Amino acid sequence: MTQVLPGQQKRTFPSKFALMVGIGFVIFAIFPLFFGEFQTSLMAKLFLFGTLAIALDLVWGFTGILSFAQGVFFSLGGYAMAYYLKFNLAAGASDYGGGLPEFMVSNGLEQLPWFIAPLQSFPIAMVAMVLVPAGFAYLIGWFIFTSRVSGVYITIISLAIASALNTLFVSQQAYTNGTNGLSDIAPLTLFGAKIPLIGLYWMCLIFTTAVLMGAWWLTKSNLGLILRSIKENEARVSFLGYNIASYKIFIWTLSAGIAGIAGGLFVALNQFISPVYIAVPFGTQVVIWVAIGGRGSLIGPLAAAIILGQIQNYAEQITQDWQLIIGVLLLIVVLFIPNGLISLIPKQSNQVTSASKSASS
Amino acid sequence: MLNQLALTYLFAQNSGFQMVPIINQLISGVGIVGILLLTGLGLAITFGVMGIINLAHGEFIMLGAYVTVFMQETFDMDLLLTIPFAFVVTAVIGALIELTIIRRLYGRPLETLLATWGLSIVLRGVIKLIFTAKLKYVQSPSYLSGNLKLLTNGEGLPLISISYYRLFIIGIAIALFLITAYLLYGTSLGRQMRAVTQNRDMAKCLGINTRLVDMGTFAYGCGLAGIAGTVLSSLKSVSPPMGQDYLVDAWMVVVTGGVDKLIGTLAGAFLIGESNAIIAFLLNDPAARVIVLAAVIVLIRYRPEGLFTIQKRG
Repeated sequence: MTQVLPGQQKRTFPSKFALMVGIGFVIFAIFPLFFGEFQTSLMAKLFLFGTLAIALDLVWGFTGILSFAQGVFFSLGGYAMAYYLKFNLAAGASDYGGGLPEFMVSNGLEQLPWFIAPLQSFPIAMVAMVLVPAGFAYLIGWFIFTSRVSGVYITIISLAIASALNTLFVSQQAYTNGTNGLSDIAPLTLFGAKIPLIGLYWMCLIFTTAVLMGAWWLTKSNLGLILRSIKENEARVSFLGYNIASYKIFIWTLSAGIAGIAGGLFVALNQFISPVYIAVPFGTQVVIWVAIGGRGSLIGPLAAAIILGQIQNYAEQITQDWQLIIGVLLLIVVLFIPNGLISLIPKQSNQVTSASKSASS
Repeated sequence: MLNQLALTYLFAQNSGFQMVPIINQLISGVGIVGILLLTGLGLAITFGVMGIINLAHGEFIMLGAYVTVFMQETFDMDLLLTIPFAFVVTAVIGALIELTIIRRLYGRPLETLLATWGLSIVLRGVIKLIFTAKLKYVQSPSYLSGNLKLLTNGEGLPLISISYYRLFIIGIAIALFLITAYLLYGTSLGRQMRAVTQNRDMAKCLGINTRLVDMGTFAYGCGLAGIAGTVLSSLKSVSPPMGQDYLVDAWMVVVTGGVDKLIGTLAGAFLIGESNAIIAFLLNDPAARVIVLAAVIVLIRYRPEGLFTIQKRG
């Protein structure tokens, strides 16, 4: 696991990994042609969840910051998209007071609040989808990582953030429609035409592939090496003259931005978002995907999110106790397979693995 | 005795500044303090003394509540009498969990965190299998119903009152706090507990059975959570996910107060409970929760060791 070996980084870009991702991309791109609408929509959703897991893996598996607040950033992006689509619908059906969504009218709002109004425009909504979660994450990161708070306390802070934001979104009925969230929203249109399901599916697939490749490139770069070193020994990295806080803030913000886009696409796909995705249980769900899939591997969490989601879809028709199985699986992984299920797949014996074996033994 | 005239002036309806609702709010804050202390105490042992990040703490509270449900359903037992059973059952389950899971993960806090989260899912699932997901209701004893009237107006209607059950919660919380403090600081067992956390190897050299002490300490912390479950079971309905409601709050109490000294937990509970009540009075309940959580985050940022910890050297 601890293969921090700078000498081993070879720059052979069209590598095995890229080839694997390419093959996977082609297989999944033609996947909807063979399966029905339900499977297509489910798979697209699971791609987004998988991306969310990769984003968490960047901060947790590679940098060692465990956060339960990944759902918060996901939801912030989701709400940005949902407001835009909601206004789109309200503008179409102008029975309500001047395009104001019905829940705002029934909660006594006379006009759009200033902080939501800009989301009526498509470009602003798209930018907000990334910048609101990333900006929020930047503020939190700047606040936390510049102090001596570390490890477990950051996790507890992330719990508090998720809990506080959930309470906020539930309580501000007039602005967020409370626990019901934003539903009954318009489908996403591009150049005046509604994007069909298969189009959304391909968007999700391309996004996931891009994140996977980007994360892979990032973790193989020098930056990735520094991040992993921070995880292994923070003090030593800082003695070498690196500003640890700025690295942590960078990866934390990047991860939140990715989560925000995933949230936006999720809303375009499902036409629904609610505080459920902010609250702690969804945040822990993401943590579980990463833990079971394998921290520090990129394919592992992605695969775990997709496979567990698929199994859950069928298991829930048979048994009500799917969560119990997940709990047992998580316990087994933590106790006996700390590097996740991906580590059970035997690696091909190339130079890197043999070198890392001799280094760790 | 307070001067009747002064009282009339103080509580006059038209005096602009209303004392009665404020005092009532402070008293309801005391009720919250009792609940927070009760739920935080077990965590103060498992996290404060042992350093275990226990995310299954809420589930031990839930287990305690289900012990009460079971005893009441089968033996029609009084709620107070079920307290020892709740303590013993949750403590035994805690000991078994320490033996099989926690023991393997000492020194790896983030792994412990994950494992206890897995455990919390499992406990919820198992309880759901046994008792189903149906909401259960617990009868609180009849002699604890009703209110204690502290101040009445001219017609004998209560102006300021507190329910006997709230008083009972506070009483239990403070009693458990004192017992725990005595156990930790007044007995040789407590000295052993603290010795093991401070320097495990040295404690071992001095002939302390560290594994047994670990198991006992964890079991005691879980037992305390179990008692909390029994006492809180009659406030709301009992259901498998009920522990989740208490988890974040219990954590905030322990982190605010500081993990070194037990008194920090008491102070943390008091601070969070009362500020919650006061802000809720000035604004509203959700706002109070958001503001208190934000304040705790700021506090952790500047004093991760908690408010009531003596600054250590080096």
